[in-house]
Amino acid sequence: MGSLGLALLNSLDIGLLLFIIAVGLNIVFGVLNVINFAHGALYMLGAYLAFSCINGLGMPFWATLLIAPLGVAVLAVLVDRLMLRFVYQREVTDSLLLTFALLLILNESVRMVWGTGIHVVEPPELLRGTVTLPGGIRYPVYSLFVIFAGAVVLFGLWFLFNKTRAGKIMRAAALDRDMAQVLCINTRLVITGVFAFGAWLAALGGVVAAPMRAIDPGMGDKIIIESFIVVVIGGLGSFPGALLGAIVLGLIHGLGGRFLPEINLMLPFVGMAIVLLLKPHGLLGRRASL
Amino acid sequence: MNRKTFLRSAMALAIVGAMAGTTVVQAQGKQEPIRIGAIYLMSGSAAMYGKFAQQGIQQAIDEINAAGGVLGRPLQVLMEDSQGKAATAIQAARKLVYQDKADVLMGLDSSGVAQGLVPVLPELRKPFIITHAATPDVTGKLCNKYTYRVSVNVHQNMNSAAEVAVKTGKKRWTTIGPDYAFGHQSWEFFGKYLKEKMPDAELMKEVAFPRFGAEDFTPFIDNIMASKPDGVLISVWGGDMVNFVRQANNRGFFDQDFDVLFTVGAATEVLTALGEQLPEGVWVGTRYWYGAHDNELNKKFVADYKQRYNAPPSYNAEGAYVAVYAYKAAIEKAGKVDGDAIAAALKGLEITAPTGALKFREGDNQALIGPTWGKTGPMNAEDKIRSLTEMQTFDGQKITPPVDAECKL
Amino acid sequence: MLSHEKTMNDTPGTQASLPARAGRTGGSATLAWGAWLAAAVTLILLVILPWVAPYFYIFIATEVLILGLLAASFNLIFGYTGMLSFGHAAFFGVGSYAVAMLLQAYQWPLLACLLAAVVVATVLALVIGFFCVRLNEVYFAMLTLAFGMMVFSIAHQWRSVTNGSDGIAGFAVTSFGLGLDVQLGNPSVYYHVVLVIVMLAAALLYLICRSSFGLILRAIRQNPERVAFCGVNVRAYRLASFTVAGAFAGLAGGLMAPFLRIASPELLHWSMSAEPVLMTILGGSGYFLGPFVGAAMFVLLEAWITSMTQAWMLVLGIILAFMVMFFRRGLLGTILDWFQERK
Repeated sequence: MGSLGLALLNSLDIGLLLFIIAVGLNIVFGVLNVINFAHGALYMLGAYLAFSCINGLGMPFWATLLIAPLGVAVLAVLVDRLMLRFVYQREVTDSLLLTFALLLILNESVRMVWGTGIHVVEPPELLRGTVTLPGGIRYPVYSLFVIFAGAVVLFGLWFLFNKTRAGKIMRAAALDRDMAQVLCINTRLVITGVFAFGAWLAALGGVVAAPMRAIDPGMGDKIIIESFIVVVIGGLGSFPGALLGAIVLGLIHGLGGRFLPEINLMLPFVGMAIVLLLKPHGLLGRRASL
Repeated sequence: MNRKTFLRSAMALAIVGAMAGTTVVQAQGKQEPIRIGAIYLMSGSAAMYGKFAQQGIQQAIDEINAAGGVLGRPLQVLMEDSQGKAATAIQAARKLVYQDKADVLMGLDSSGVAQGLVPVLPELRKPFIITHAATPDVTGKLCNKYTYRVSVNVHQNMNSAAEVAVKTGKKRWTTIGPDYAFGHQSWEFFGKYLKEKMPDAELMKEVAFPRFGAEDFTPFIDNIMASKPDGVLISVWGGDMVNFVRQANNRGFFDQDFDVLFTVGAATEVLTALGEQLPEGVWVGTRYWYGAHDNELNKKFVADYKQRYNAPPSYNAEGAYVAVYAYKAAIEKAGKVDGDAIAAALKGLEITAPTGALKFREGDNQALIGPTWGKTGPMNAEDKIRSLTEMQTFDGQKITPPVDAECKL
Repeated sequence: MLSHEKTMNDTPGTQASLPARAGRTGGSATLAWGAWLAAAVTLILLVILPWVAPYFYIFIATEVLILGLLAASFNLIFGYTGMLSFGHAAFFGVGSYAVAMLLQAYQWPLLACLLAAVVVATVLALVIGFFCVRLNEVYFAMLTLAFGMMVFSIAHQWRSVTNGSDGIAGFAVTSFGLGLDVQLGNPSVYYHVVLVIVMLAAALLYLICRSSFGLILRAIRQNPERVAFCGVNVRAYRLASFTVAGAFAGLAGGLMAPFLRIASPELLHWSMSAEPVLMTILGGSGYFLGPFVGAAMFVLLEAWITSMTQAWMLVLGIILAFMVMFFRRGLLGTILDWFQERK
């Protein structure tokens, strides 16, 4: 397979994880016109809850995968009802600022509850170790699982948006909220539901990432910038855009880290800037269908 | 004047005055404690180091206070988080000295932070004992009469690492190190000492310097493995080392032919986190290994520490412990609690540490101690970390290079 | 969608706070008088601070002044021109690095270094602004974030020039310039130097905001299309605003380097860019002095709260959330609005 192949596989792995995390940001923006600066913190919270469930309560990984994101979704409902409802009618910048405040609150809360050091979660028994791929390369089983999980989320979302009523309601609300309200779709429920759903996706990403990454209070800040880059490159508010943006960023990380390490820190931002300058609405154009 | 504007101005003044007035009120009394200000990494991927340093400090303080304190006064420690940033550490140092009235200072895990903070110390006029940061600059071109170090610096450690490398007989060396002063200087001086001892050694061009705190080491691991070295010097530490080893295991890094040297790998902080994941047969270095010193003081220190904290002491804990005792000796020698006097009293001071006799060299205020290197062996069941085999503790007098010409104390 | 309509109600308007606006209500004369008195009192307090307050507060006050200038420069883009930039720290940090590098390598007098810092920051702002002002709203914010982080990445990885993550330290601030013998090493003296420079800079910035240029900027914030229809080159004015703001941010950064004794990449990170945003929201983007008030709130709160607990970010987040939800005009804005409505 060679080093290029390995780099590409890495890119896919990183990219699909980023997709799981960032797609929620896009959905929330598409339907609610809110840029959730705290999206990364919700991801982090998912990872920490996974840590507590697995290491603290001894829950199996698969159960945690179901439960932890739900916990974060419940928190998101509270945030929506208590905080965000004040800024939905205002400019986008206000929601940016309010969610930034939420970010500060969540970051510090995590530090207070779990401490400032790093925590480690082991992958479940089934997914430990490595496999030998064609070409003699050893690749961690868990990374393959991440790719698989990303694919599952991808198809799940596609199914949701195209084949279910809930998905169609969300797309309708994204296109025209007033019209959706006129048509007696319960917008309040949709708003809260969508925000919680976005949080659920972020937390799911956190649980999936937990065995792979160091769990520390700074992980939310790192991922929010990554998520912004993904949604900008792919297109704010676009679901296929999130996938494309995630893959592109995954490639930048994987290939850049391997072949251009001296400037690898800068590359994602250069990519972001190029897309914003040439196609501000993202590579997939103006709000390709949700 | 309008009543409303008068009230508003008065209110504003009152608020400002109240905020200004909430300075910490000093405890007045005969038994006013001697305050030690400590700046360590208390957050982030290496937060364990700061925590263990605090434990070492507290053990020393409790022992000293139980024996009557220093000059009849108890010791007290004030911890501050450097967050790994020099600017934060500088502001923390100012706060400790001017607001919290610290009498002496100690600390620093990060070499980058040390490079930033040490030039500022003469303004604060308080002595500072460095117990971890290893950059040679603070006892070299940045040296000053307030800065002392009890821990091993990069010169001493890399000189020993080169000795170990020569023993392995391997010729082609590369490195994976964090992308800041410590990583780069480790490689620079390892290369220098290796070439002196083994002129036909090859220092490869392909090297890897991931960012400190990077989460993903796999591209760097792949790169280094692809370049086929004979030996790899790894100066990644703290949480990074934990991440690195886990990811390296996944890539089969340790199954390759090359020898691996972790320059500061024998840190209990890391070894406890990794457990069996750190394979046997890799070389690890440290400034202090709890099992390497067979004297009464060390035995007592280790036993007490294990009883207090349920774990063997790390080198950061021992370094901090030693620094507190160094201050005790210096304050008693100076006879008073005055920054300049204590700094002068530390000069050339000799004390007994768990590692043996420890003396601050007068030319640069660096303690003449040697690191301990060993190969990872089977798990020590009682302490739940890997034991060390083929241990070698280097003689501080022999392994320390001469005073840097740039240091003019 | 709702986002593209201009909401006139909650958009913070920007007025000059002193002296009174071209008189509409009679009571504003008393307000002006009171405002001048408060300003004079504050100024006197600032000058005598080193002699009346505990020593540590000299450092706090210096930080407030420098960050206040940074926040005020940010507000030129945000409050006056209506653009939210998340990369403002780039100019601040570049100013710091400029001064640090010049002091370390050539030991220029401080004034010369500050001038260089302003020049470098202005050029950078011109270049970055040229690309950014084409975009609106969220996209503008994202692009400024991208550029800011690019500058951060360069400083972080270009070890040979910027010393990477370790930053540039170990320089001494010796001479001031203009033949004046000033003991810059003394924190109290440096504080007064900063006070004078920041006051002059703030006065200049205030004049700019009050001029017809400032008026056009405010018009652009409220309704760019209408301004464009009047024949004004909106993009050029935005660029000018961005560049001027960058220049003042560079000056603030230049003052920061000798204060911190180090210029490091953190000064360029987006979390540093967020600080003037926070301060402006806290103080109020609607009045010229709002960002200064916000800077004072921010630094004093931090010093006060960290002496009691480590969870200062939590408190800051809660306060910020309340501000955005209920007191969108900031502390100064809410207070002054309340007084004006009473007349």
